[in-house]
Amino acid sequence: MLSVALPKGRIAKETLDIFEEIFNKKFVFEDRKLILKTSGFKFLLVRNQDVPSYVLHQAADIGVVGLDVLEEKEEDLVRLLDLGIGRCKVCVGVKNDMEIDYSLPEIKIATKMSNIAQKYFSSKAMGVKIIKLYGSIELAPLVGLSDAIVDIVETGTTMKQNGLKAVETIMESSAYLIANKNSFIEKKEDIISLYEKISKVI
Amino acid sequence: MIYEHEIPTGSKLYFGKSAKLKREIEGVASKTFEQRGFEEIVTPFLSYHQHGNIAEKELIRFADGANHILSLRADSTMDVVRLMNKRLGRSTTQDKWFYIQPVFKFPSFEINQIGAEFVGAKSLSFGVDISSIIFNEFELTPLLQICNINIPNIIAKKFDLDIKIFERGEIEKLFCLGVPWLDGLIKTQSLEQLNSVINLAPKEIQNELLKMREMDEKITYRRVVFSPLYYARMRYYDGLFFRFIDKNLTLGLGGNYECDGAKSAGFALYTDAVIDTILKK
Repeated sequence: MLSVALPKGRIAKETLDIFEEIFNKKFVFEDRKLILKTSGFKFLLVRNQDVPSYVLHQAADIGVVGLDVLEEKEEDLVRLLDLGIGRCKVCVGVKNDMEIDYSLPEIKIATKMSNIAQKYFSSKAMGVKIIKLYGSIELAPLVGLSDAIVDIVETGTTMKQNGLKAVETIMESSAYLIANKNSFIEKKEDIISLYEKISKVI
Repeated sequence: MIYEHEIPTGSKLYFGKSAKLKREIEGVASKTFEQRGFEEIVTPFLSYHQHGNIAEKELIRFADGANHILSLRADSTMDVVRLMNKRLGRSTTQDKWFYIQPVFKFPSFEINQIGAEFVGAKSLSFGVDISSIIFNEFELTPLLQICNINIPNIIAKKFDLDIKIFERGEIEKLFCLGVPWLDGLIKTQSLEQLNSVINLAPKEIQNELLKMREMDEKITYRRVVFSPLYYARMRYYDGLFFRFIDKNLTLGLGGNYECDGAKSAGFALYTDAVIDTILKK
């Protein structure tokens, strides 16, 4: 049996749609249950950022998670396949009337993706102070908590509604099928068989 | 705040059943090594020579009286081999040494190891054989993974690929190349699959695959898989290497390497992982 960690929300739904297409049957979590066992799979519904931990510690053999989360966490995992769902960008956002000022000695960035932000500004030789937040990132520059934000942008609507604009794109992201390194060795045949089935329908 | 009874994260505490087990594993290992002509070596906890083998940020560093950097031993292999070559080289013909000692990593990790180095070893099979005797004594049957780091290196060069593709197992980028023998390598796990792909692969890859098969022929352990494209950043293993895995743990690791011009082979068992596996059985 392969165990699969899925991030709660739209990506889980779209991934299960892929499984439905492959196996020609319904894959639906009952009510508020977090585990679904069917057709030789055990699906686990977890928080997006927790998917790499479940797979790294082999609570799940494989998982589905955004490239942005993988880059942020930098865990030792197998990146099997870009599923092409959950497409988004990781952007630097500032207030509408501002630009990033690279002449400042240091820039204050509010983000939940502190590693990605740190690496990006370090690569530009820019001193950066990271303010780690867990939500409502767009608020930070509006109340003077930070000069800019680094956040996920899908349509740009949230930023626009809060008087912000995306000025630089750090990376493009989409959901990846990932695997635990030891599971990929021990259950290679099953995992590659699934990989091939998914590749045919995406 | 640090409590009086608190132990640092990553350090190891064994007592009662687990401490007894640790001693038993080390006892079995020591007896097995001695029966096979290995002599024991205990190297200093502090070393000047860890730099170059290990990333500096992983070392727990100090300064000596002359302000030279020294560090807590983070790896035993190079210290053992250098001490054997430089200090004992002319005065002994002994080329097989074993050690039972911990290594330390920043900030507070402590890893108990049982390891051996065989200077001039022609084959890596002694490492698998000795490991399997110790595992057998404790009724462990981990999966043996046979790899060859030369294969991903050759393929990366041949197709101008970033070696990170292999490190991250990005098989999508390898399948995209549409090369049948490479597809075969991605899927290879069993001896039958290895034999099939040997017939398809180009000469330089074929030679490296044959080394994997030769290693398998020399060992008696039978729970084996082949991972020709497996790549991990190794400190010094430069060709064939093996891992013993059980669920998510690596119980042991060994490989071929060169130190100060001498072709050698070595391996280490991760005592903490072995204890954990036995206790969870």
